[in-house]
Amino acid sequence: MEKEYLLSVTAKNHTGVLLRIAGLFSRRCYNILSIVAAQSEDSETSRLIIVVKGDDKIVRQVEKQLCKLYDVEQVDVLNEDEAVIREYLLVKVARNSETNAQLVAIANVFHADVLNVSENSMILELASNAKTLNSFVELLKPYGIQKILRTGAMAMTM
Amino acid sequence: MLLTGAQIIMECLLEQQVDTVFGYPGGAVLNIYDALYEYSDRLNHILTAHEQGAAHAADGYARSSGKTGVCIATSGPGATNLVTGIATAYMDSVPVVAITGNVNRDLLGLDSFQEVDITGITMPITKHNFIVKRVEDLADTIREAFLIANEGRKGPVLIDIPKDVTGAKFEYIPKAPQESKVPSLPPKEWMDKAAELLKSSKRPLVYAGGGVILSEAAPELKRLAEQLDAPVSCSLMCQGGFDQTAPRYIGMMGMHGTKTASLAIANCDLLVAVGTRFSDRVTCNPDTFATRCPILQIDIDPAEFNKNIDVDIRLSGDAKAVLQALLPMFPQMEHKSWMESVAGWKAEFPLIQRAETEDGVTPQMVLETLSALTHSEAILSTEVGQHQMWAAQFYDFKHPRQFITSGGLGTMGFGLGASIGAQVANPGKQVVNIAGDGGFHMNANELSTAAKYNIPIIELLFNNEVLGMVRQWQKLFYDGRFSQTTLEKKTNYEKLAEAYGVKAMTIAKKDDIEPVLKAALQEEGPVFINCIIDRDINVLPMVPAGASVEEPMLEINWKA
Repeated sequence: MEKEYLLSVTAKNHTGVLLRIAGLFSRRCYNILSIVAAQSEDSETSRLIIVVKGDDKIVRQVEKQLCKLYDVEQVDVLNEDEAVIREYLLVKVARNSETNAQLVAIANVFHADVLNVSENSMILELASNAKTLNSFVELLKPYGIQKILRTGAMAMTM
Repeated sequence: MLLTGAQIIMECLLEQQVDTVFGYPGGAVLNIYDALYEYSDRLNHILTAHEQGAAHAADGYARSSGKTGVCIATSGPGATNLVTGIATAYMDSVPVVAITGNVNRDLLGLDSFQEVDITGITMPITKHNFIVKRVEDLADTIREAFLIANEGRKGPVLIDIPKDVTGAKFEYIPKAPQESKVPSLPPKEWMDKAAELLKSSKRPLVYAGGGVILSEAAPELKRLAEQLDAPVSCSLMCQGGFDQTAPRYIGMMGMHGTKTASLAIANCDLLVAVGTRFSDRVTCNPDTFATRCPILQIDIDPAEFNKNIDVDIRLSGDAKAVLQALLPMFPQMEHKSWMESVAGWKAEFPLIQRAETEDGVTPQMVLETLSALTHSEAILSTEVGQHQMWAAQFYDFKHPRQFITSGGLGTMGFGLGASIGAQVANPGKQVVNIAGDGGFHMNANELSTAAKYNIPIIELLFNNEVLGMVRQWQKLFYDGRFSQTTLEKKTNYEKLAEAYGVKAMTIAKKDDIEPVLKAALQEEGPVFINCIIDRDINVLPMVPAGASVEEPMLEINWKA
């Protein structure tokens, strides 16, 4: 059965490491839904959180193929019940003097921050789980969403 | 000792016991070639006609010797010409280190003359690759490359070195080659389960792949087959991994496997697969492959378990070490009636080719005569196509590293370069490249290399004037519409070989076979043999695409 899997990958912080990992997904026809990559607590290593869509067999293959990359040090398939999963969202939504108060009210309900307000638009930020971000976006839709940026999931085991 | 980057490369190659490199000079490797000039008493360099030939030669050197093959090319087109050779080595897990020059560091990324991002290009076809931007990192990178090429599942590694790094100086400190990590054995629980299966099986079948050769596990494979009292089938990559003259050998498995192998897999109650990845050319239709018996797979690459087919018992580790641990875990078995059934099939379904005319030549006659005249001790390389399958079917390979063929990538043009590498690595042995006329025309230029160094290979061309394997498919599935597969070139093969400085001979009729092969084997330099065969000799048996491996076609009835 197809579902989403979260992979936490620790890799040597070498140039091209992201390309090697992304290239592996592409040539083996695995689907990446999102990928977050940055330096870890150790300046020599990067940590990547990759969300993959597939069945259990595919995700085992992904895991084993990733382990074969020279730069990859560790791969963990995260159990969602044992991890904190967060995603960060920036959204630019249309505003005018009439809708402003409603938008701020929605932001307050979600504990989202208003980062910028200009004459015709407003930029909001929210860090939460995917489900909450989706509801937030749904509620903003009627006002006219101009741009969305999402990082994809980050996850840390408890 | 203060050395240039180029000298450090030489020292590091010597550290790794490299004696021969294959390559082609150019602007970005001028420093490297200057160092090769200086080290020519310790490092033999074979200049090929084309960088692709150098890559295939390094590959043939590695496959035939078990050592790491090394090739060198310049930046840009030199590097891209290696690509097919590197991909060929990658698909068959051959340890090769490719060294390419690149433009000076300050010219990188500017679309400079002969600049190409070869690490980017070769990322999917190497185990790993490096670009060395500091001379301080050069020695350790080369050492690491050799380690990666040989550790675990073997494969090619590329090192790209900008020209100014090969010119820069740095202190060189010698280091002994690092031993590669020994892969751990499978958990005891799995070994116990495997032993139970081996003990309880009444009709076991051993199926071996190229991993047996890579891990030097042929003696253990032989003991496994004897102790288990099982018939043995080998993949194309394992030809010679089991003595093919042994009664329990039943021929190849897969698309062009024997009827006996297909009957054995249909009737066995346990499939013991050693060092194999169940390629699509073996399983044919994975949904119908060995579905009625449990499968025990031994492989060094855990990613090969459940990749192409689902297996029941997975023993992850080096084939030799796993078999050594497994053999004492079950007693000597006896499966008399099963072995008798298999022997019966073997007698009933031999491989036979018939000539169209009274004195017509068949590849079977030629290869069996060659096998007899060389006491089955020659090293055979091949191009890709019908002749490749015939070589696997009709020469009796007895030892590992005797059959050098591009199995995974299926690279036409591979064989001649590979035979040169194999001959350089094995000066005392007879090396024969079996070619078809398609593959021959792709890299025939390497005949000039064999002639230049007087490398005594035999280039044995099965000349049917067609791309026989594609023609065979066109016969079967495209209603005999031979689109672009009838070559009928105007090449005068004998004259061409002679023009390269290679002695030429011809086999045109049955009676020529033995005297010509005998004469060729007597020669001390390279020989080319133009062996003329009928264009409608097919490779049989054959499992058509999508069909079950259990039901091979034994003949193709087609008339023009």
